[in-house]
Amino acid sequence: MKGAWWRIGWRNLGRNRRRTLITVIGLALGYSAVVVMTGLSRGLVAEMIDNGTGMLTGQLQVFAEDYLPDRGIYDTLGGREGIDVEALVAEVAGDPRVAAASPRVYAGGLVSTGAATAAGVVLGVDPEREIRVSRLLTYIDEGRAPTPGQYEILIGREMANQLDASPGDEVIVVAPGADGSLGNDLFIVSGIFSTSVTELDLGYAVAPIEVVQELVALPPERIHEIAARVDDPWAADAAAAGVRALIGTDGPTADVRPWTEFRPEMVEYANLATSMEWMLIVFVFGMAIWGVANTMLMSSFERRREFAVLLALGGGPALIVRSVLAEALVLGAVALLFGVAVTVPVLAWWHAAPPDMSWVYGGFTMAGGLMRPILRVEWPTSMIFITGGAMFGTALLAALYPAWRSSRVPPADTLAGR
Amino acid sequence: MSRIAIARALLLGAVLAIPPVASAQTTDCAGLSNPADIVDCVDRIMRGESSQGISTMEVVTENWSRAMEMQMWSLGTEHALVRILSPRKDAGTATLKAGTEIWNYLPRVDRTIKIPASLMSASWMGSHFTNDDLVKESRLIEDYEITLAYEGDRDGVAVWEFDLIPRPEAPVVWGRIGYQVRKTDTMPVWARYYDEDGELVRTMTFFDYRNLGGRLVPATMRVVPEDKPGEFTEVRYSELEFDVDLDEEFFSLRRLRDAR
Repeated sequence: MKGAWWRIGWRNLGRNRRRTLITVIGLALGYSAVVVMTGLSRGLVAEMIDNGTGMLTGQLQVFAEDYLPDRGIYDTLGGREGIDVEALVAEVAGDPRVAAASPRVYAGGLVSTGAATAAGVVLGVDPEREIRVSRLLTYIDEGRAPTPGQYEILIGREMANQLDASPGDEVIVVAPGADGSLGNDLFIVSGIFSTSVTELDLGYAVAPIEVVQELVALPPERIHEIAARVDDPWAADAAAAGVRALIGTDGPTADVRPWTEFRPEMVEYANLATSMEWMLIVFVFGMAIWGVANTMLMSSFERRREFAVLLALGGGPALIVRSVLAEALVLGAVALLFGVAVTVPVLAWWHAAPPDMSWVYGGFTMAGGLMRPILRVEWPTSMIFITGGAMFGTALLAALYPAWRSSRVPPADTLAGR
Repeated sequence: MSRIAIARALLLGAVLAIPPVASAQTTDCAGLSNPADIVDCVDRIMRGESSQGISTMEVVTENWSRAMEMQMWSLGTEHALVRILSPRKDAGTATLKAGTEIWNYLPRVDRTIKIPASLMSASWMGSHFTNDDLVKESRLIEDYEITLAYEGDRDGVAVWEFDLIPRPEAPVVWGRIGYQVRKTDTMPVWARYYDEDGELVRTMTFFDYRNLGGRLVPATMRVVPEDKPGEFTEVRYSELEFDVDLDEEFFSLRRLRDAR
């Protein structure tokens, strides 16, 4: 007999199809709006984190305990003795959440063509490993990455403009060495990268790690950092704990930091975006609830004679309440089906082919991460279900008052037309 | 970057061989009584018209220490040339100051580079001096209000101690400079540099007073930064000549590459 309530609810919806359809469309649009807006918001956060961490820093960094905030050239992993670089890189990459790890050396210095000189950071990397960790080497728009072992350097577009340098040109790189000497050497510009992040394009240059070590008088076993990529950025905290355990207490004293620690502003923004999702649900369904309540009140008012008959036959008020609530739940189910049928394909299409908005706005940086001019959407999986639940809740809540009123219909007066 | 920036004549005197000298003008200075006049007099006599010399700069930092032998030429306050003679790794590296510009010559790559404005507060040759220390040049009396803070004996030596407070519009980074001068021969003893909060940032001490190039000079000067315990830069003169035959053409980029 359980199924009978749903059938009654379903049939009642058919009494005034136009009104039902309008209510269903209203609820379904509310559902779509919440889910799509949440997807967009998550797309924005994902874009910010992807670019904020993926462009240069990686999602995880390992460095000497006293390396930050000064980034002193002497503060290498393992102190003056250095470390077994390959072993430590392997340990960092040993955590299953870490997709790749790459050693780095940082040198602050000058890149000069003679008459024009730019100050910046010369980042020493192993290009083959680095490209699996950060995307900096994928932003080359002229020339190529430096060849390992060669005195070649990749410079940012703005630095290239400042120096009036092109691939193939010779530049002088000067950097204070770890032994107090003034390291200087000639490099050939192998290429120019353009990330649209001014700080990088103006202030960074990339050269092979062994060449930078030689420039600043650091032996091969002394590096400043191991950067790692964690594909799911939200797993970086767990990955950091895993890497700490892998390095262990017998390894070098190292600080293992996930991006959530060295880019806390992005975590703050993500938290803000999440709280906005809940506010969105409250706003949208807070408005929808009045529309549904109105519909239910109208339909129950039209059926007051029917309810009077039921009551006169000894059906009891609970029966009436159950009948109206069942109708509301069926209404919610139909609206959900309708909403999902519309929203999911739209999200799938949007996720696969985010529209290019460069005709409206250019790329910009937010919380230090580059935002491409695209409307990126991420699947808000949890919100697809939560919003569905919220919609049922709305339908049910909206039906409570009409159900209560219907159960209080005076049978004799109603049937007598009084 | 270091907060160290402008020590004006004192620093130039130390690094670029315009050493603090006591010449015939000493008597004039000794006869003065107004604090501003005395400091200005010491300030001016510490600049030679031209000079040339050899000194050793010892730099001790937490991570390394090294000594460099340097040969230097100067003309007035606008022109200076410094060439490193040793150690071998840096030998030939040279710095040219011409007006407000600084150029470096790097023998290893045989290239000359201009130091950009953004690097003016960076360390010069790894020392506790900055590029800015070499370039900025003005007289103390122009930038500071000078008052006499103490006059009397310190450790049995008769001295003046002056307080130098920057004028409101003066382009300087210090909040105050304390400056001690011996009364007998107007030789500087120390200069203490304070930031705007009144914290001591660095101390410069002068000692080893002796005759070089026919004049009494403090042949050694040491700079100690307060925030880096145990670190210092010390410049010791071994040879000095004054009023040598130099003109502005001497301080050229060509000479920078090939100083003799």
